[in-house]
Amino acid sequence: MKNPLPSLLKKDGTRSVLASLISVLIGLLAGGIMILIVGAATATIGMKGVWDGIRIVLLGIFTTGRDAAGSLTFGFNPNAIGNMLFNATPVILTGLSVAIAFKTGLFNIGAPGQYLAGTAATLFIALSMPVEGSEMVKWYASQGVEFAVTFPQWVVWVAAFLGGMAAGAVWGAIPGLLKALLNINEVIACIMTNWIAANLVTWAFEVSKLKNVVEGTKTGYIYKTTFNGVATPKLGLDKLLPGSQVNGGILIAILLAVVVFIIINKTTFGYELKACGSNRYGARYAGIKDRRNIVLSMAIAGSLAGAAASLYWLSGNTEFFWNTYQSLPAVGFNGIPVALLASNHPIGVIFAGVFMSMLDIAGLQLTNLTAYNEYITDVIIAVIVYLAAFSLLIKTLLKGRRKKQEAVPQPVVDPEEAKIELQKEMEAADQ
Amino acid sequence: MADTPYVIEMLHITKEFPGIKANDDITLQLKKGEIHALLGENGAGKSTLMSVLFGLYQPEEGMIKKDGVEVKINNPNDATALHIGMVHQHFKLIDVYTVMDNIILGAEDTTFGFLKKKQAREKVKALSQKYGLLVDLDAKVEDITVGMQQRVEILKMLYRDNEVLIFDEPTAVLTPQEIEELMQIMKGLAAEGKSILFITHKLNEIMAVSDRVTVLRKGRYIGTVETRETTKEELSRMMVGRPVQLVVDKEDAVPGEDVLKVSNLRVASKLYKRDAVHNVSFTARAGEILCIAGIDGNGQTELVYALTGLEKAAGGKVELCGRDITSASVRDRSNCGMSHIPEDRHKHGLILDYTLEQNMVLQKYMEPRFHNHGFIRFEAVREYAQQLIDQYDVRSGQGPVTVARSMSGGNQQKAIVAREIDRDKPLIVAVQPTRGLDVGAIEYIHKQLVAQRDAGKAVLLVSLELDEVMNLSDRILVMYEGEIVGEFDPKQVTVEELGLYMAGAKRQNKEEQEQ
Repeated sequence: MKNPLPSLLKKDGTRSVLASLISVLIGLLAGGIMILIVGAATATIGMKGVWDGIRIVLLGIFTTGRDAAGSLTFGFNPNAIGNMLFNATPVILTGLSVAIAFKTGLFNIGAPGQYLAGTAATLFIALSMPVEGSEMVKWYASQGVEFAVTFPQWVVWVAAFLGGMAAGAVWGAIPGLLKALLNINEVIACIMTNWIAANLVTWAFEVSKLKNVVEGTKTGYIYKTTFNGVATPKLGLDKLLPGSQVNGGILIAILLAVVVFIIINKTTFGYELKACGSNRYGARYAGIKDRRNIVLSMAIAGSLAGAAASLYWLSGNTEFFWNTYQSLPAVGFNGIPVALLASNHPIGVIFAGVFMSMLDIAGLQLTNLTAYNEYITDVIIAVIVYLAAFSLLIKTLLKGRRKKQEAVPQPVVDPEEAKIELQKEMEAADQ
Repeated sequence: MADTPYVIEMLHITKEFPGIKANDDITLQLKKGEIHALLGENGAGKSTLMSVLFGLYQPEEGMIKKDGVEVKINNPNDATALHIGMVHQHFKLIDVYTVMDNIILGAEDTTFGFLKKKQAREKVKALSQKYGLLVDLDAKVEDITVGMQQRVEILKMLYRDNEVLIFDEPTAVLTPQEIEELMQIMKGLAAEGKSILFITHKLNEIMAVSDRVTVLRKGRYIGTVETRETTKEELSRMMVGRPVQLVVDKEDAVPGEDVLKVSNLRVASKLYKRDAVHNVSFTARAGEILCIAGIDGNGQTELVYALTGLEKAAGGKVELCGRDITSASVRDRSNCGMSHIPEDRHKHGLILDYTLEQNMVLQKYMEPRFHNHGFIRFEAVREYAQQLIDQYDVRSGQGPVTVARSMSGGNQQKAIVAREIDRDKPLIVAVQPTRGLDVGAIEYIHKQLVAQRDAGKAVLLVSLELDEVMNLSDRILVMYEGEIVGEFDPKQVTVEELGLYMAGAKRQNKEEQEQ
């Protein structure tokens, strides 16, 4: 019987996964070394502290605290796992946003701006369509304001979610249009639209009636959507993982990832998108409308970043701090490492997003339970991101090793390409 | 110095890349003062061997001797120190510098940081007189012809006192007259004691100029023969491994109705203010191969872009099968009746990261048989691709699922030819369909094009290779600086005559063209 392992290893996908796993392992190893160095250099930590730190980084979400004797306890931690999934939701979606743009040959660094556009649209819709019997309606009633129409809670949720996606799509389509029509580099256009979004959204909230005036100390914040009784249903996940913030959003994110996977791999539309991304001239030769596809791809990418914002704010757990909004949301940028780590594979993005969010949780545990602070996990993430960029190289190494083992004397090197390569080398040598 | 007739000896060179032996026990001995041709198909290992000689690759086995003494060449600087020089296929000159500055660049003599231009100039002048390499030293490179630029490259090598000169496919960019001059120059250099390695796959040139030929095939050494004791047929058999038909058999054309009608077409140039294509008019008829000849860069590419819709025309009219398609989209034109074998198979012809089967349906994926409400029918695609692969003998590692990038150039081209011919459109625009291909693949593609002509298609062939033009066409148009300067019957014109038109030295007026 044939051993199934080698044939599995031959697959391109397997190699991608392996390359990403190797990046992750090296990242964790580097984190371990950091912990060791910091621990050895700090009198208050000691070797026991180092050991604790390493265990928390590796098993962060399974850490349950410390027992009476002061040693770490491990086990099923529903709170940590639930929060991991909750935090993973937006980052999976921004990761998808970056990944689908990559497939079309575009670098969507505009996810933060699209996320902000989605944020604004979602909050405006969720807080402007009064829900019968909500806190907001009651508060306005106490101020003597009655609403003429009220809506069912689910209608508002759906409208806010779709509105967020639509706003993200519009914001993503702008750099797409600039690229398609004027050939302006999408990276530059994205950076600009990011900051335009940041300032526009701050201004929009500033002049809005959504600022929290109910709780006196919170005037810098926008109401939570729960003020209007709108929140993503928990779908029983809170029973499964009690004490955490998890809700149905993670399922929607996974569903969207599967939808993106199907679009990219199974449809003629995905065939066109990938053709544009891989070779714009070739696509044009084939009669594919490359300009239209660039705009569409950016719009879809934007809608996914918008969905990330919608699901995050519609959870009702967090409130948006509008005052003096001076930075871009990190979750938008985090989509880039997630996409990189997943080699732009939509399903891989789910795992990469969950993993990144797991490291965040591990960072929190580290702060809570040891003398270390959470920035150690940032180092790990940085190393992984750095290596993820090299995952292509790792993949090539895996490929090269395999080829030597098989030793098939088949000329797979394109002679013309070899020639071009040679010329390049000679040019380099000339210089 | 050991007593040996050989200036360079590469003995039993073996160079391996992962999964492929690019050079397998190759021996090449270059005599002092000879012109030695290195012949082989693409992928035969010519470039690898030269890279080993130039120090870009280190061989796993074998040794290199210079004048009988073993030498180690670890990088191109070592090669230069051993007086080995190379004229690249694509010149490495700085356009805005003068000829003189280009020649001394990188080998400048200075006193206290100031250039000693006077001595350098005298040296260059002496060299150019000695070898008959006449160039204007004060002209800018951008203003001189390609043939002149090649002389500058040769002067660069001579200025560096190189004894071994490598010419990498030097004739690809030249007109027949310029090729003739180059041959004379090469002979002159050899007579003065320089040793020349001449890389090529053109048999005519080998027969005309070389003393000995070394033939490589698939990384192996096939043999070294004296040129005067061999024939083109034997050389091509050595190169390909089987007898090759060098001239296409074809009947006389029976032209039918007009398929493509181009009137006063103009295309703006992206680089200059003038038109890249200026007032071009012609008609392609069913059942004939109409060939557009010309030196690279005379508007052929832009003409094809305008015909196929890749770029907009600035004026004029294009009609296909009686329909005005001047401003139609690429897909409209293609559905209307045009298939297109593009000039650049990597830029346009293929999506290199796609598999072979995905590339086979590049213009067909939206046909109902290949999708179901937007979902691709993978079995239908596989079946269709497999059928084309079998029918046109496209060879690849893993059949339909081979990534196009990993296929050899010849098979990539075969795949494109298969795809375009199978679309069965009345007009086939084939642009340099055999560029960079070896003799066997060229033979195959020529046969396919003739078969399409005989099946009543109009074939518009754009080619830079005069052999191909003479061999295949039923009618020849010559393009020079964006205009059609002559129309010829291949049976009544010589290569030399065409060369004069291609170089702009002669042109027919309108009345002559219409005759």
